[in-house]
Parts: sequence; structure tokens; C-alpha cells
Amino acid sequence: MMRRALAWALSGTLVAPLFLLVLLSLTRHWTWPALLPADLQTRQWRDLFALNNGLGAIVLRSLGMGTGVAVLATALGFATSRSVARHPHQDRLLVLLHLPFAVSPVVLGVSLLYAFLRVHLAGHIVGVMLAHLVFAYAYAVILLSSFWNPQVQSLTELAVALGAGRRHVWMRVLMPLARPLLTVCLLQTFLISWFDYALTLLIGGGQVSTLTITLYQYFNSGDVRLAATCALLLLLPPLAALGLNQRLRSATVATRLEAWDA
Amino acid sequence: MPDAFAARLHVEDLRVRLGDQIVLRDVSFTLEAHTTMVVIGASGCGKTTLLRSIAGLIAAEHGRVVLGGESVDDLAANRRRIVYLNQEPLLFPHLNLFENIAFGLRLRRLSERFVGERVSELIACLELTGLERRYPQALSGGQRQRAAFGRALAVDPALLLLDEPFSNLDPDTRANMQDLFKQVARERGISALFVTHDLKESIRIGDSFAILRDGQLRTFGDRQAFCADEQSGVDREAAFWRMVAGADQK
Repeated sequence: MMRRALAWALSGTLVAPLFLLVLLSLTRHWTWPALLPADLQTRQWRDLFALNNGLGAIVLRSLGMGTGVAVLATALGFATSRSVARHPHQDRLLVLLHLPFAVSPVVLGVSLLYAFLRVHLAGHIVGVMLAHLVFAYAYAVILLSSFWNPQVQSLTELAVALGAGRRHVWMRVLMPLARPLLTVCLLQTFLISWFDYALTLLIGGGQVSTLTITLYQYFNSGDVRLAATCALLLLLPPLAALGLNQRLRSATVATRLEAWDA
Repeated sequence: MPDAFAARLHVEDLRVRLGDQIVLRDVSFTLEAHTTMVVIGASGCGKTTLLRSIAGLIAAEHGRVVLGGESVDDLAANRRRIVYLNQEPLLFPHLNLFENIAFGLRLRRLSERFVGERVSELIACLELTGLERRYPQALSGGQRQRAAFGRALAVDPALLLLDEPFSNLDPDTRANMQDLFKQVARERGISALFVTHDLKESIRIGDSFAILRDGQLRTFGDRQAFCADEQSGVDREAAFWRMVAGADQK
């Protein structure tokens, strides 16, 4: 009974804010003390895309930046994590990699801004992506360094003994083995960029609009309902990525269980 | 039918250093083609280092490794035609049993038809029929070890290096694997260097023998010479069983 109640409480805590956002995005008339909205309509969704504010371009830019940061951070992080995992001072390097997360993004952003101003990257999309990359890359190295364990080393040596060259070892052994972790890394680093506000505002200086920045602008303008609609839009890619990841995992497990039964 | 690829191994003055410690001191021996040499020695005496340096996975400080009359010292590990079989029955976890055995063949870009025939033949020989589509996590320890053995045999290695391959198996499975290895080694004429610390296993499997102690290797051409040597431990083993038998009779 207690466990069921806790499960409901947990589900409610997670789902209630999302449900509230959905209701807010589908109504124009919901005033206190009414428990439920007076009307349900899709006007805000139409307004969001109909407004002459280039939201489509902002969504595409945010997706592009997130994807770019995720691919770069994961690729660089995978290569770097191998060196870190084999380094005699691995522990110290890992502590160093936690540094971006130990200080506030704003603090790091100020120093990055100073550097980027000198090389004319401040207020530019490349500068913002580089700033995101600092965090995403550190995260990727930390996450992926756990992959290089003794068993992977043994499997690599085994592949070499069976005749695999460097390319074959990467393509036929390391990449397939690392695929689940790489998928998680891509997803997480995408989210680091997708949801970032402080660094984007600081380095972008209002010149680089992302969906997160736009959401804050709607909120600050007092249009909570439009902000709620925008927030739901912001949640769509992460939810889709999570769903896709779950499907991929289920498909892999199903294939292996099927092979077991056969 | 003896394997035409199996070759004679000659190791000369092999010296290997790991960090500050010299693990192998001027080790020299010859393994005739189509025979199995068993190397015994205490844990940590350098048996694994010997195999890994012959396989090219560790660089030797000094010495020569000659396989089939040609030096392999300058060849990378993937070009030596030596397969190293680990203590753990390591299978690639993302590949099923068939794909695991086919791994080395597919690297060589052989036709799928040839790969299929070769792998099926090995699967039948190693009594793994019906398990082709299973992934490693759905196989028993013995099945995994047989699959790893089959994968090593599939590529027709010039030399097979086995590092305590059966030590993690239960006694019955271990005895079965020893019989299977002897049978396959005889039928295919494999050249193998087999490391173990199990005396009975060494006597069952070896054609020639060696004892590694303090980084130095002593070789014995036949079982009698090996058993007669004090360092082999055969005397102590025999005395133990005599004592057990005597105690039971009383």
C-alpha cells in the first residue's frame, strides 16, 4: 500500500508539471479560483508559429547547435577518454575534467567571454557552440572513460591476435561495444547544449537566439501561456530521443532473447 | 588431417622486462610443429608474459622469435599468425556464437560461402550445433571456451598460445575440454604452447614440457624426463596420493 502510494506520488511529481504545461498551452482563459481551464483550443500553438518571429529558424538553429555539439563532444570525448583511462595520473585528470561543473557556468562564461571577445567569437553561433562544447566535452570524457576497462583491453588484444588491424579493431570491436554508451553520450551532450541558458546569453550577447532563450523572453514578457507552449516545444526533442533510445534498447534485448529461444 | 599451417617455433634468448623487473631471463626453447608443449610454473612466474611476448602483445628487451623458419620480431601482433587464447573464455559480447567463430575469417575477406562451411564444420567438431545464434551471455562456461577455441582454430594459426584456458571450468567440464583439445590437436596437427599450473592437466596434454621458474625456462623432451625432475612436483603429488591411499587402508 505504502509502496503504491509512493509510486503514485513519484509519478505525480514528475507528470504534474508537464500536465500543467499542456493545459496552459491549450487555454486562453484559466483564472483563479477555477480548478480547470474554461476553454481548450490550439490558438497558442498556431500563434507560436504564426508570429513573425522566426521561431522555425530558432528551432532549427537550436537543433543544429545541439547536434553539432553532441557529435563533436562525443567523437572528441571518445578519443580523449582512451588516453585518460590509460594515463598513469588518470584520477587527477578526471578531477580536472569535473572542474567546469564545480564552478558556475556564469563564472566560466565570463572568462570565456573575455577570450572570445579578443578572437571575435562573442555574439557568434560558433562562439556559443564552443562554450557549450567545454561542458559537453568534459562530460563526454568523464562518461566514456568508464568504457576502457580491462575486458575491453583484452577483447582488443584478442581481435589483434585474430588478425584485426587498427581500423578493424575500431569498426568491428570498439564501436559496436561502445554503441550503447555512445548513444547515451550523444543524447546527454545534446541536452547540455539544447537546455543551456546562461552561457548562450553571455557568449551570444543577445545575437544568438535559441529556443531556451526564446522561452525566457516569453516568460519575461508576462505571456505565461505562450511560454508554456514554447516549453513543451523545448521538451519534444529530448522526449523523442529518450523514446528512440528505449526502442533501440528493447529491440536489442528482444533480438538476443529471440536468439536464445531459437 | 594435420593442419598445413602449423609451424615450428624457435625462441632464442628472450628477455622481457616489465617496469623495473626482469620477468623472463634469456629464455630459449624449440617447439616442434604439430606438437603441444606444456609450460608449468607457480602463479606470477611469468608464464603469461612468455605467451604475450611471443604473440607480440609485449615488446621483448632482447631475443628472437622464429616461426616456421622466419623471424616474427618485426611483425605486428596481427600479422604473426599466432592466436592467443586467454584464461577467460573471451567472446565478443556483441556477436553471436557463429559470428564469434567467423570473426577472424571475415577479417580476411573470404567468401561468405567458405566462412559458412568452415564455421559450421568447427561448430560440429566442437559439439556446439544448435547454439549458433546464441549470444555469449546465454552460453555456459564450457560452451564459451569451446567457441573461443573454435574461433582460434578457424583462422588456421601457425601457433596457438593457450593461457590456462580451462582453469575457470568445473572439474567435469575441464576433463571434457582436455579430451577435446587432445583430440582436435591430434586430428589437426596443431602447434601449441599450453600454460597451466595443473600438473595432471600438463601430463594429459603435453608432448613436451617446460618449467618456468625465476624467469628461466627448463625444457623436457618427454614425459619421463619431466616426471623424473624434482621441480616438476610429480614426486610430491604421487607421495600425497600414496599417503591418502595408505590412510584409507588403515
